Amino acid sequence: MKIAVTAPLLLVSLAGASSSAFATQYLTVEQAQKAIFPEATAFKPATLQVTLEQMRQMEKLAGLPARSAAWRTFTAFKDDKLLGYIVLDDVIGKFELISYAVGLLPDASVKQIEILTYRESHGFEIRNANWRQQFVGKTAAAGLSVGEGIANISGATLSCTHVTDGVRRIAALAQVALKK
Amino acid sequence: MKRRAQPWLGTLVEISIADAMADTALAAAFELAFQQLALVHRLMSFHAADSDLARINRAPVGSIVEIDPHTRTVLQAAMQVTAASAGLFDIRIASRLVDWDLLPPAGQQLPAYQPQQLSFSLTPEGKLQKLGADWLDLGGIAKGYAVDLAIQSLQQSGVQNACVNAGGDLRVIGDSASEIMLRDPASPASMAYKISLQNQALATSASYFSLQHTERGSHSALVNGQTGEAMLDAVSVSVSAAQCMLADALTKVVMASGNAKHACLAQFGAHALII
Repeated sequence: MKIAVTAPLLLVSLAGASSSAFATQYLTVEQAQKAIFPEATAFKPATLQVTLEQMRQMEKLAGLPARSAAWRTFTAFKDDKLLGYIVLDDVIGKFELISYAVGLLPDASVKQIEILTYRESHGFEIRNANWRQQFVGKTAAAGLSVGEGIANISGATLSCTHVTDGVRRIAALAQVALKK
Repeated sequence: MKRRAQPWLGTLVEISIADAMADTALAAAFELAFQQLALVHRLMSFHAADSDLARINRAPVGSIVEIDPHTRTVLQAAMQVTAASAGLFDIRIASRLVDWDLLPPAGQQLPAYQPQQLSFSLTPEGKLQKLGADWLDLGGIAKGYAVDLAIQSLQQSGVQNACVNAGGDLRVIGDSASEIMLRDPASPASMAYKISLQNQALATSASYFSLQHTERGSHSALVNGQTGEAMLDAVSVSVSAAQCMLADALTKVVMASGNAKHACLAQFGAHALII
């Protein structure tokens, strides 16, 4: 899997602080567009700027701080017909950094949420020497630190509250600034 | 390996498909599998007011509640594990989690938690009869069931090699073994162990992500059903079984008993590892 350099600046700079972060890229922005609106023929990019008044309305609707005045969006069309919108966002959890895309219908209801990238912020360490050997020779480029070589992690459930909060905020944004 | 992830059941659920497939078939396989996760989320969420679970929790004692066959399957499995573990695993613990702010308040007075009680029965017609005021929480078993349904859906789409991982509760299918890394409970950002898994499920429970220390004491999302107390030990319990639903539920039995060879495991064809 190729790791595209589309991660937002914030993610890149934070991740740069740790020597080897566990990260997975699920979808590029383009792949997410197709996954959310497979029938679309065009995606028109725009930076959506919200006013102070709109931010207040968003806070009221979502019950959360509006956080940002500028949002990266795409409007999806099938020929001339409006299919909906995609809004991109990033959230930082206790242990992880997540980029995701929210697909919304023209009536501002959430159609689909796709995670684009997931990165653990505390670095990635393999402790047990017995099986560490198995990874000898696998460099970062060969996939050890970027999720391709490491299939899966099992552990206590990491809640995704910050993603669901983010989606709530974006649903409010759509209600206030995108709804047709 | 193609991977997709979406937020469901309060965590990120990742589906990986290793088969070589045409793009459209692959997209359809992902879509159908995620629909199964969405279905379990809709039916068994504690948060959503219109879920089967929320309707059960709101229903007055003595009433009969219509439930989806999927909800019934999960409730039946929960009853089996509760019986086999002498109540170490119990889904009636929601009021404890609400009390500790680990679940949202439901707008009603909190029922007291009493161990070793029955709060419902399932009628022969597949409905639920409410016998007690307890609130149910399926957080300790529904994720596993959702993983099983998603795997089944992938198989129906013709997928042969895949993994569904619902925030650490996972199941793999395929011709070769998959390597699963286990987080170190003393330092969860690090990996402490590796397990090789083939055509099996593995679920892990530990308190490191849900642990809360407040002036009212220390709590976690893991509750010992026999005492109603939070399990706070800095250990991690992983259970492998054929079905992820059972693996998920059995982690709580092993955690509460501290016994990786608990008799309950053999009954469900499961194995446990404590680190």
